[in-house]
Formats: sequence, structure tokens, C-alpha cells
Amino acid sequence: MPTAPIVTSRFAEYMENDNRTHGMKLRWSFPPYPVGWVSRETLRSYIEGNDPVTGKPLIEEIIYALTAPLTEEEKNFKPERRPRRERLLEPDTEENLQRLFLENGWTDGLPIVLPTEERVAEMLTGTDRDPQEVVGLMSVTPTEERLEYTVEKVAVNAVMAGARPEHLPVILAIAASNITSLPSSTGSYGCMAVVNGPVAKELGMNGGGAAFGPFNYSNAVIGRAWTLMSINFGNARAGQTYMATHGNGLSFTNMCCCENEEKSPWEPFHVQKGFKPGESTVSLFRGWNVHNLNIGNTAAEILNSLKNFGMMGNFTAILDPLVAKGLAKEGFDSADKFREWLVKESDLPFLQKEKVNLIVVGGESNPIYITSDFIYTATMPVDEWIPKGGIKKDARPLRMPVAITCADGSCGIA
Amino acid sequence: MKEKLRVLDPVGQPSGIFGYRLNPEDDMMNITDPNLQPTISLDKMESLQMAPRLGSLENKRIMLIDTGFLGSREFLEELQEWFKRNMPSVKTELRVKPGNTFADAPEFWPEVKKDADGVILGVGG
Repeated sequence: MPTAPIVTSRFAEYMENDNRTHGMKLRWSFPPYPVGWVSRETLRSYIEGNDPVTGKPLIEEIIYALTAPLTEEEKNFKPERRPRRERLLEPDTEENLQRLFLENGWTDGLPIVLPTEERVAEMLTGTDRDPQEVVGLMSVTPTEERLEYTVEKVAVNAVMAGARPEHLPVILAIAASNITSLPSSTGSYGCMAVVNGPVAKELGMNGGGAAFGPFNYSNAVIGRAWTLMSINFGNARAGQTYMATHGNGLSFTNMCCCENEEKSPWEPFHVQKGFKPGESTVSLFRGWNVHNLNIGNTAAEILNSLKNFGMMGNFTAILDPLVAKGLAKEGFDSADKFREWLVKESDLPFLQKEKVNLIVVGGESNPIYITSDFIYTATMPVDEWIPKGGIKKDARPLRMPVAITCADGSCGIA
Repeated sequence: MKEKLRVLDPVGQPSGIFGYRLNPEDDMMNITDPNLQPTISLDKMESLQMAPRLGSLENKRIMLIDTGFLGSREFLEELQEWFKRNMPSVKTELRVKPGNTFADAPEFWPEVKKDADGVILGVGG
């Protein structure tokens, strides 16, 4: 059926790429943006005016799309096979390479550690896996070409993030999920990565006080590596493939932390998902409305927050241990019991237990919990990426000062 | 002279695997998740062909299909009015594509083919 497809000029470059991905060179017309929430007069002016991308009258393009005979190129269109990229970039000075990475959109805007051959080789000691083993395929949109990446490519991005070999197994586990920390939506997703199991302690990760803040090296570099991989493997380009209207500040380090298993009265999150306590994992989440502060440690208070939250079927609460302990005192001796109760009492017909997640993180400064619409996407095993000899730590691992926390909010004050 | 460094390219390799028609059964959360949607490889994609064109719109039946995105209906209604004013022999009809905005609607297209000579589909974005 001859078709004239129309998409606003805001998405013109995205659709040009999409031409290639569906094997047809479609005849797009691009009216100005936006089309929603504008007057009829404005829409009329779009139709009677020019396509801002081509400069040609829009209506003529639409008529052309339906009537002009197919060109030879359109009849015989072959999607382009993009060539493989070279492994190494042209040698250059530190300063020029930092500029190159930044100007090419390969970074998050912050200075990176340049991935020299020596640094990448050292990073690769963080796993026994073959550097050329394909780890995954990623894209920030459902329709675009997936980019393929190896263990070595992951190591490159890990170096850039400032990580050390000890972090590589967790970063590889995240990479193996194929999940981007920058899913494309005009609504600006934020993401979270929560580590469980013995690896968290080995890496000196923080799931206690200030866990989501800029105070823990391992939390920061693992979370940052996820976003650098999402940019470089997911092909995230602002305004072209990544369409968030505001973007999300969480994307720098993705609320990366470990669960506070020590202080939680419940079984760890990964055990709830079927893993053994002694296994190490990283669980990934994404959402739009992701950091809403609440105070309280009773079931009724959390239920009230849930009912007033306005979520679209997914609910993740991040509970300070004081909150989880309060719930345990009320008789909710497992996260599962509390999830079941919440769903039943919420009276929300679309809410399913599987879409309610409870994570215990925090420093017991106050009974505070965060409500969010975080969607749980996956729990990835870390152990298969750890070398046989164990986590490859530096002789003097880098660690920041540990957050001072006060049990039960007392801080020794009488 | 400043030292020159050799560094590795951080960008993933083209895989030849692309997203394909999104799963019409899926809810909005899943439909925007690249991991949960179908993919197709480049060699399979090459068989898709564009339909021959109409030559002229005079006396043709053109269906304006609203994808359901914000403002689409209003835009297409204005387009319909343009045809009435400027090309009255073109018979237009406005219909809404069923299902999720982003997904295909395979059961819809046979009825479109039966009732129209050509389609204007919009507005994305």
C-alpha cells in the first residue's frame, strides 16, 4: 500500500536511521514540532508551510510520497552494512584525545581516564574471560541497530569510568544484561543498580548512610561505567536517539549501591529473586518518578504512600533499615509478606505482587523511605565473571572515608 | 614534543541486528524496552519492498491513519480539510490505528487495503 509517513521534525534524524533499519527508504515528511497542544491555526500553518528539514512545501512532499514513481534506488534499496570499527584510534596527545572523546560524544561530559592499551590490559586482569568474547548487544531504542561489545570493549569503558580491575566483574554482569541506563523516552528515565552478595563487601561498596551520594568510589565508578557503556554501546545521542526532554541527573552514576544486607531484617533482594545468599548479583531498575521522600516506619504509612503515589503499575520502595525493622516488628518478617499485604490492602486492581519491590538501603539516620515507579528489569549473576583466583584487588585498593552511621538515630546522644 | 598515546575505541561494533516491528501485545512499559522487542538481521531485512505509487491522487481514496500520538488526530483533521478545499476529488477518511501507538496492528491493514488506494500515516513524535 503506497504510504506517506509523517513524523515531526524533532525526530527527523532518528527516522532517517530507521529507514535503513527496516530495509526501505521511506518517503518521510516532517512537519514542525510540536504537533500536540498547539492551536488548529498552527497545525494549518504547518500543513500549508514548509518542511523545516528539507525546506520544501510539506503538502507537496506528502503528495509526492504517494504519487511519484519509485526511483531505481528505492526499488533496489539495500540497507547499508556499516563497516567494523578499528580497534585502536589514531595516536595523539592526552589533551587531544580527551577533546576527541568529549567532542565525539563518547563520554558523560566529565573527564575520563583514557583507555590506553596498558590500562585496558590491566583492567582485563579483573576477569579470566577471553577479551574477544562477545558479551552483549545494546540499543537505547527498540528499533535501532544493536551494537555488539566484547569483554575488551567493556574493559575500555570501565577504564574510562575510573574503575579498577576489581570492579570489572560487576560491570561485565551489567553489560551482559544488554540493558541500557539511558532508555530513550521523552520522559527522562532514571536507573538504579543494586549489588547483593559477598562482592559488595569485597569492593567496599556502600549500602548504608549516603549510599546514593557522591561518597563511595566503587558505587560511583560501577554506576558511571553503566552509563558510559550505554552511550557507547547503546548509541545514546541526545536529541537523536535519546529523546528525553530534560534528561536525568541520576544517569551519571545510576543510584548504584549495594543493599544494606547487614542491617536488613529480611532476606536480601537477590535471594527474593531466587539466588543463594552466597552468590553475588547486580539488579537493575528503571523508572521516571524515582526519588520521592517519605518518613514513617509503619505498614499503614507505606500503604498510604503507595495509594497516593500515582504509579503506573510498578512500585519500588527503598527503605532505610529503620523502616524495614519497624515493619518486621509489626509482624512482616519477610519482604514477600509485606509485598503481599501491600497489594491486597492497596485495592489497586492493576498492581501485582511481582511489580512491587522492596530494597533496604540507608544509614539509620531516620525512618525514611523513598517511593518510586522503578521497574525491576533483571538480576544478573556476577560470579561467572570473577577470576578463579578471586576478585583482582590492587595492593592498596582505593577507598573513600566510610560514612559514619549511628544505629537507631542515637549517635551516642543520651 | 608531547607524548602521543594509543587508546582503544570505546564504541560497540555494528551487529547487523535491528529492532523490528514492536510486539503489539505488549504494554507501554515493555514496548519501549529494547530487550523485550523483536529483532531482525540485515539479511532478512533486504526483502522488504515499497509498494508502487499512484501516479496521481485524482479520484483516489486516501486513508488518513491516526497513530494515536499527541496531536495526530487534530493534524490529520486539518489535512483532511486541506484536501476538501484544494483537491476535492480526493476522497479521504480518517481512521485510528488500533492498539499501542508504537506497535504494528497486523489485523488492521487488510481492511485498509480494501478501503483505500493509499495511506497517510501520522504523526509520529
